[in-house]
Amino acid sequence: MNDLPHLAAIFDRLKRGCHLGPEDEPAYTALRERYDDYARYFAAIGLRLARHEREFFYFEPENPESVPDTLPRIAVFSYILIDYAANQGGSIEEYLFGQNFLLPALPHFGLDRYTALLRQVEVHDLGDLRTLLKHMERIGWVKSLGEDEFRLLRPFHRVLSQCLRLSETGQTAEAAPAPAPPTE
Amino acid sequence: MKINPQSFFNFCAGHAALLRGLAEHDGEIAEAEGFRLIRAHPSPGEELPETVWRRLRELQILLPTEPGGEFHLLAEPVARLLSYLFNDAKPATPELIRGYVLSLENTSHRLGRALAEEDVAQVRLAFEETAQTLRRIHADLEETQQAILAEVARFKTERARVSVREKYRRIVYWMERYVEPMIEIVRADGPLRAALDETARRLRQAGEETLFTDHPALVRNLRFLRLLAAHALRVFLQCRKEIQPLYESLRRSSFIAEGAARALEQLQTEGLSRWPAECRIGVATLRFQNVPGDEAIALALRRVIEHPPEPAPVLQFSAEPSDPDALRRLAWLESLPEAARAGLPIKDLLGWLLREHPDTAMPEALTALSRLIFHRDFHAVFTEEAARVYPLRDAQLESAPVRLSAHE
Repeated sequence: MNDLPHLAAIFDRLKRGCHLGPEDEPAYTALRERYDDYARYFAAIGLRLARHEREFFYFEPENPESVPDTLPRIAVFSYILIDYAANQGGSIEEYLFGQNFLLPALPHFGLDRYTALLRQVEVHDLGDLRTLLKHMERIGWVKSLGEDEFRLLRPFHRVLSQCLRLSETGQTAEAAPAPAPPTE
Repeated sequence: MKINPQSFFNFCAGHAALLRGLAEHDGEIAEAEGFRLIRAHPSPGEELPETVWRRLRELQILLPTEPGGEFHLLAEPVARLLSYLFNDAKPATPELIRGYVLSLENTSHRLGRALAEEDVAQVRLAFEETAQTLRRIHADLEETQQAILAEVARFKTERARVSVREKYRRIVYWMERYVEPMIEIVRADGPLRAALDETARRLRQAGEETLFTDHPALVRNLRFLRLLAAHALRVFLQCRKEIQPLYESLRRSSFIAEGAARALEQLQTEGLSRWPAECRIGVATLRFQNVPGDEAIALALRRVIEHPPEPAPVLQFSAEPSDPDALRRLAWLESLPEAARAGLPIKDLLGWLLREHPDTAMPEALTALSRLIFHRDFHAVFTEEAARVYPLRDAQLESAPVRLSAHE
C-alpha cells in the first residue's frame, strides 16, 4: 500500500479541494491505474476518493451544508454560463468544453437578471469574476490561458452532474401527487 | 374544368419562383396577398399582375375556398407536385398509415368474398385497389423518411438561436409523433405487417382458386407486398437511428439546462440564505490548522517547560476602601446647609467655612459659598465691613464678609 506513486503530491492537492484530471499528470495516470488502492488508503483515514464517470478524481466533501463562501459564487457563475449556453441552441457540453472564453466577453454582466444573481453572492464586476476564476483554477475546473482567457476543464462536469440531479429532483417533485388538504 | 397540360406546364415554367412562394405560404391566400407574391416573384415576360392572378385561377393552381370568395388555397395536386419538385417532403402521420392498413384489410375482405363468389370482376377491382394502396403506402413512407431526414439536417445546421429546451421539445415531438408510432405500426408483429400478410394470402388464393388469369398483376402485387413489408420497417429504423443521437444529446442538454435554471430561479426567489444545499457544489477542504502536527506539539511542550514561574494572580474580593472623590465632594456640599443652619446667624460666612473645613481649595470654597448664598432657606448679605483676606489651600481670597441668616 505504501508504494502508491505520487501519494504525497496527490494527497496535498486533493486535500485542498483540487480535482485531478488529464491535465494533472503524472498524478492522473497513477490514480486511474490504481484507483482502488488509493481509495482504500484514503478511506482508512476517513477520506472518500471519488471517481467521476467522466474520469477525474476528487475528495468527497464531508459536509455539503457547510461550504465556504466561494463555492456558491462558483455555482452561480457556472449555472449562469450553462443557462446562457442553453439559449444558444447547440449542445451545452460542446459550448462549454469546445472553446476558450474571454473574460470580458462572458455573458455574466450582459443581462440584468444575471447581474442581480451575481450581486447576491457579492460578485459585482470583472475584477470579482477574475478572482472567482482564480479560485476555480485552484480547484482544477479552469485552466488560465493568459490574463483574461481561460478554458473549462473536465472536472467542470461536476456542475453538469449537479444540474442533472437538480432536474431529476425537480421532475420527481412535480410528478409526486400534491399533498392532501389538511382535515379538521 | 379540364386543364390543358401544355398550358399548365408552360405557365409553371415561367413562374417557378412564384409557385414556390405560393407553396411556402401557409393557409389561405387573400387577393391582396396573392398580388404581393406575384410582384415579389416577377416573371421574365412583362405580364401584368392582374393577368398572372387570372391565369393562376384559370389553371386551377389556386382554388377559391368558397364559390366567388376572396380567399384561395393552393390546389392539393399542385401542392403535392411542388413538394415533390422542391424536395419539400411532408411526413405521413401514423393515422394516415393506419387508414391505409384499414383500407388494405377491407380490400382483403372484399377479395375474400369475391373469391368465394368466384366474381372475377370484383377480384380484379380488389387487385387494382390493393396495388394502389400499396403504392400510396410506399410513397408516403418515402416522403416521411425524407421529411424526417430533412428535419434532422435542419436541426444540425440551424443557425437561428433556438434554445436547447425548445429544440428538445421539437425533437421529442418528431420522435413521439412520427418515429415511434410508425415503428409500432410497421414492426414485424404490427398491424401493417398483419394486413400485408393477409393480403398476400388472399392474392395467392386468388391465383390458385379462381378464373383470374392476370398472373403478372398477381406477381407484381406479391412482390410489392414483400418489398413494402421489409422497406417500411427499415425506413423507420433508419429514421430512428438518425434521430436518436440528436434526441439523446438534446435530452441531456435540456436536462442540464433545466437543472441550472431551477438553481438560478431558487436563488432569485429564495435568496442566498435559503438557497438549498443541493444547489451548491461541495468541494473538500481539510482544515489542518486545527490538527496540530508533531512540530507544533513539540513547540507547545517546549514553551510550557521553558516558561518562567510567576505567582498566580490574586483576586481582590473586598469592597472598595473609600467612596469616590466626586461622591465625597457631593456629600460634603449636601451637608453644608444643615451645618450652617445650626450656626445661624453667621456673621462671616467664608470665615465660618474655613474654620469648619480649613483645608478647602479654591473651587470647593467657591462652590460651597454659592450653594449657601443661593440656598432657598438662607438669606445672604455682603456687609460693609472692611475687606478681609481668607487663606485657602491653593490661593487667597479677599472679600467683604458675608452675613448669612435664615429667611424670615
